[in-house]
Amino acid sequence: MNFKMVEQNIKIMKHGCHKQRCAVVCTIILICVFLQCDKQHNGNQQKSDRVQITYWCSSNQDEIDLAKYLVDRWNASHDSINVQLQPIPASQSSEEVLLAAIAAGTTPDLCSNMWPGAMDDFISSGGLVRLDQFPDFVDYISERVPADLLETFRAPDGHFYQLPWKSNPIMIVYNKNIFHDAGVENIPRTYSEYIEAGRKITRDIDGDGNLDVWMSHRDTKPIWWQRFFDYYTFYIAASGGKTLFDGPEIIFNNEASVKVFDFFQRVYKENLFAKTTFVGDAFILGKLATQIAGPWHVSHVEKFRPPGFEYGIFPIPVPDDYQGPVYTFGDFKNISIFSTTEHPGATYKFAKYLITAEADLKLLEYTLQMPIRKDLTGNPLFKDFFMKNPNLVYFAEQAPFTRGMDGVSDLKEIFDAISQEYEACAIFNRREPAEAIKNAAERARVIIEWNRSR
Amino acid sequence: MSNMLGKIKSSEKSGYLMSLPYVLYFCIFVAFPLIFSFILIFHKWNIVTPMQWIGLRNFVRLFHDIQFFKSIRNTLVFLAIHIPLQITVALFFAIQLNKKIKFRGFFRALFFLPVIVSGVVITILWEQLYAYETGLLNLIITGLGLERIPWINSPEWAMPSIAIMATWKNVGLYIILFLVGLQGIPQYLYEAAEMDGAKSVQRFFHITIPSLNNTMLLVIILSTIGGFSLFIEPFVMTGGGPMNSTLSAMLYIYNQAFYFGHMGYAATLGFFFAFVILIVILIQKKVVERE
Repeated sequence: MNFKMVEQNIKIMKHGCHKQRCAVVCTIILICVFLQCDKQHNGNQQKSDRVQITYWCSSNQDEIDLAKYLVDRWNASHDSINVQLQPIPASQSSEEVLLAAIAAGTTPDLCSNMWPGAMDDFISSGGLVRLDQFPDFVDYISERVPADLLETFRAPDGHFYQLPWKSNPIMIVYNKNIFHDAGVENIPRTYSEYIEAGRKITRDIDGDGNLDVWMSHRDTKPIWWQRFFDYYTFYIAASGGKTLFDGPEIIFNNEASVKVFDFFQRVYKENLFAKTTFVGDAFILGKLATQIAGPWHVSHVEKFRPPGFEYGIFPIPVPDDYQGPVYTFGDFKNISIFSTTEHPGATYKFAKYLITAEADLKLLEYTLQMPIRKDLTGNPLFKDFFMKNPNLVYFAEQAPFTRGMDGVSDLKEIFDAISQEYEACAIFNRREPAEAIKNAAERARVIIEWNRSR
Repeated sequence: MSNMLGKIKSSEKSGYLMSLPYVLYFCIFVAFPLIFSFILIFHKWNIVTPMQWIGLRNFVRLFHDIQFFKSIRNTLVFLAIHIPLQITVALFFAIQLNKKIKFRGFFRALFFLPVIVSGVVITILWEQLYAYETGLLNLIITGLGLERIPWINSPEWAMPSIAIMATWKNVGLYIILFLVGLQGIPQYLYEAAEMDGAKSVQRFFHITIPSLNNTMLLVIILSTIGGFSLFIEPFVMTGGGPMNSTLSAMLYIYNQAFYFGHMGYAATLGFFFAFVILIVILIQKKVVERE
């Protein structure tokens, strides 16, 4: 074979390759065009037939099961509005996912895992639909939610952007066996009683020099949201239902806050709260006598408690001189409609369906979490459920006496500032309670000043 | 001229094509974020609301931010503990594993194992080991009749505890590096020294250490880079506590950006921290060159 022939062969091969490449590219383009046409065609067909809305629920398994049940029932009985369910994509927190989705314009039509503390960011970005634009909203929601609680969900601009859905009133779950063994017969209602009970309970049982049972335990890491379940819960209780802000003003620099810091300083100083980490659930393992928790914890205890393990529930302890009803942190999660929706009316209709009494009964049955409604303990529809779950009656009775989060955008940073001072004062005993609270309030003031300056 | 360019282009066409993926990668994941974060320095932005021009105010805030300077100090403290500890432990085990011992290959693999295990998994395991009242380490210590150590529960102990854990995780890599260095030292140097009556300690300080200078430099540089990016350990184990004693600069920048939504300020901190790293590396370079 001479070189000319080789060159010719290469040319022919190259030409062939070129043709092949062209063919492949043309095929791909044709497929894309076809798929796009098909998608548009299907889309148009769907548009003409029925409304399609996307619903994001929490990624917690119980709530996914509940949402599946409710969505299936809805889709079976509504031909014109089809709901597509999707649990919130996995991340550190659902707020991160929602903020990213707002930034990218990929939000669903509605979501039922809205934390009131993050509402300000969502609202100021124009990401949410104003719900009081729907003519029946105010009447409908006023019938469901106690008036004073409803006011806490009103945005600073005076409008409503969230449909109050469910709460997890934080209370004290206690191990009756440990209380009995330590000779504590009465449930502690005040700080002094709680500390007194803790002194009897926290002890070395086997005599090896190491403590075996503690009164309680909290994660001591200085992470802002950890303070929801110690400082903030106790602050709401000690202040008779106050939150950190009154309108735009910081109000947590008060006597109630100082008493809460002082209480935690005492329990840590006396080792009544374990400063360790545990392998497994220390409460179920019988190492902790009490746990600061919501009704979700009851479902966990019910699932995993060993035979003979008896537990009860009591309200958050308050300062010795406190008078009045005991409030607590409600840990609310609400429903909001995103402004990317093309069908606000249909989405609102579905949102209202999620808070019907029947849907609320399913919420109780699937998740043991409390629907936010006035008639929770009085409605005959829920009677059977509470008869079967007597421990949850405590949470239901506590539900009207709950408070949530202030809807301010600086909240995470302010909780971070409180967390730093809480650590220094309560856990390490390096600051006096009054000084620590004063520092936290001053830091909060600087944070707000910076964040609101232009 | 254009003819020449055309010729160069056609002859290097495949080269350009092959480097195109990397160029694209560089533009999207390096150049664009770098330029964008530089622009962010002069803005206030929380991802969802429009950017707001604030000039140099992020720098004003930075120079008043005591916590950020504490986080840099913490990172430097970590480096000051971690680097000498890493070198000492890695060199010790490298020397042992360089000897003709049984199961040498097995032990070399064993020491390398933590390097390939996820940092989060290791941190969670060590959190259990360090637990004050229930951790294995304190159970052993109290079993010996000694006082418990508040490993991650006290501001004084927390950073050294993280440095110990980081050393345990990474030591396998540095053992391998030192082993390579040790195997490159000519045997006759030791034989000559032995004939001259040098004892093992003298042989170590006058032959082994000087011969490992290049390896030592590599280990210091790698440990420094790793140390400056300290994040997973405090993020998972301590959350930056107790009393901010393990708050590393990286963790602080992360919190500002992703917890509090101060993207502009976090970008400013990032650039400032890069400047600090540059200074430290220049000092290291100067010191090593002088040596």
